[in-house]
Amino acid sequence: MPDLKLLHDAVLNGDAKVARTVTEEALAAGAEPVRLVQDYMMPAMAEVGRRFESGECFVPELLLSARAMKTALAILRPLLVTTGVPPVGRVIIGTVQGDLHDIGKNLVASVLEGGGFEVIDLGTDVSPEAFLAGVREKKPHIVALSALLTTTMPAMRTTIEALEEAGVRREIKVLVGGAPITQRFSDEIGADGYSDSATGAVRLAHDLLGV
Amino acid sequence: MNAERAIVKTGSTTNCFNRAVLAATRRQALPIAVYPGLALTGAKVSDIVTNPVAQVEAQAALHERYRTSFVLSAMDLSAEAEAFGSAIRFSEGEVPTVTGRLVTDLAGVERLAVPQPGDKRTAVSLEAVRGLRGLSGRPLVLGGCIGPFSLAARLIGVSEAMELTVTEPELMHALLAKSAAFLGAYVRALRDAGADGAIMAEPAAGLLSPNALGAFSSAYIKPIGESVADGHFALILHNCAAKLPHLSAVLASGLRSFHFGAPMDLAAALTKLPSDVVLCGNLDPAGVFCQCSPEQIRVTAADLLAKTSSFSNFVISSGCDLPPGVKLENLDAFYDAVAVQSASPTAAKLN
Repeated sequence: MPDLKLLHDAVLNGDAKVARTVTEEALAAGAEPVRLVQDYMMPAMAEVGRRFESGECFVPELLLSARAMKTALAILRPLLVTTGVPPVGRVIIGTVQGDLHDIGKNLVASVLEGGGFEVIDLGTDVSPEAFLAGVREKKPHIVALSALLTTTMPAMRTTIEALEEAGVRREIKVLVGGAPITQRFSDEIGADGYSDSATGAVRLAHDLLGV
Repeated sequence: MNAERAIVKTGSTTNCFNRAVLAATRRQALPIAVYPGLALTGAKVSDIVTNPVAQVEAQAALHERYRTSFVLSAMDLSAEAEAFGSAIRFSEGEVPTVTGRLVTDLAGVERLAVPQPGDKRTAVSLEAVRGLRGLSGRPLVLGGCIGPFSLAARLIGVSEAMELTVTEPELMHALLAKSAAFLGAYVRALRDAGADGAIMAEPAAGLLSPNALGAFSSAYIKPIGESVADGHFALILHNCAAKLPHLSAVLASGLRSFHFGAPMDLAAALTKLPSDVVLCGNLDPAGVFCQCSPEQIRVTAADLLAKTSSFSNFVISSGCDLPPGVKLENLDAFYDAVAVQSASPTAAKLN
């Protein structure tokens, strides 16, 4: 069995190669997938989140840690499913129609994955119809909407309206975020939650699902 | 002497913008506002970014309404990437956006040709500066351009650029060398077109650590600033994501004029700087200018003015570019707040 602290440190330091190697070696030595995730990877991501919020690390480091987490999870996820350990929740995420910016969306998607969520990234310039199709197909617990432009903020409202008109709004929680978004705007359009940071979005997602 | 003061003291010269601010007897205001002028001219965003006449008319209309001390060319942060060859998405009502990645690896960076100032839509900004030069009242004319890291990030992808600063720094430095080579020439072209200065917008760099900001942004801005430091031309560095811990690294650019966004604690930053270094900022464009009522804007602006009232080297501004949807009544409220503060007893401190 490899030293599993190396897995923790690989996620903490954003080293995807080491994360993959240690994960594969641990599995070959008989480690339980759920223990790797819960005892080593998630604590590492929690520490990265703490460092990000306190200004000890920044966006590049957060993205790299999330990538390392994602790399290891890609190996572990199928095993977790077959052993009956589901993800914390399923999230559909996208930047709303008319908006091509993706840094905030990518950041939130990565950190959500690091927090144990299954994330389906619909990309940028996602129409209300595409979000609705995603909801119908993937049955997410959460739909996360991102916008960087003030001119595309209204697309968040129209997306929520489309979900309501289709009768699926009550089945999901809607999170919104992005540079121009405020709590007041979130309340106005009827979203369930708003966060001004990626790490805050993960906390919010956990709170909304009660997990 | 604190670290920030030590950084700024080293070999830097002042400029016309700082002199105008420091000599003013009233609080100066510099909202980054060109697109809101569309409400006065009836043009579209697509006109502003493609037609220098429409751009000058929108800015002239705002200048006429508010009697501003400064006029600006529009912030259009895809123009430089387009000059390099990036694909751009245009629409009638939105500022253009870069799509896709122009380069993905070192070989691509090495093949990348550095464009000339005036290529593609950079010609619009140069021509707009010439047009602004002719406005009545002789306001200071400030051109605009993107910063080297933010341009490099648009060429290679913003998320990717973030990671590459850690995983392949040599690739980012190779790309930054080309980005900065173009921007140096472009800033000098803005000066030659008649600009008294330029606002260089470097938003992506504020997402880096302070050390990385110094290495991947300020180190490339410094020679650009030195190349136009003639005692008159003002290169104003805008970073709308930087926070107080970034201040020293931003100052390492060697510039004397800075413009920060809402995340910066301006009152604290002002205490760390020599009194002849000018800071501008930082009312949130969306959260304040777009989403607040005029009365709320008056209160918010008055609060910032009160916090900074003892600093003559402060210019109240938006924290970033104001989008097209900002209502004129909200801009009116902002200027009202500045006028009220300037007429108050505390304004005497500016003298």
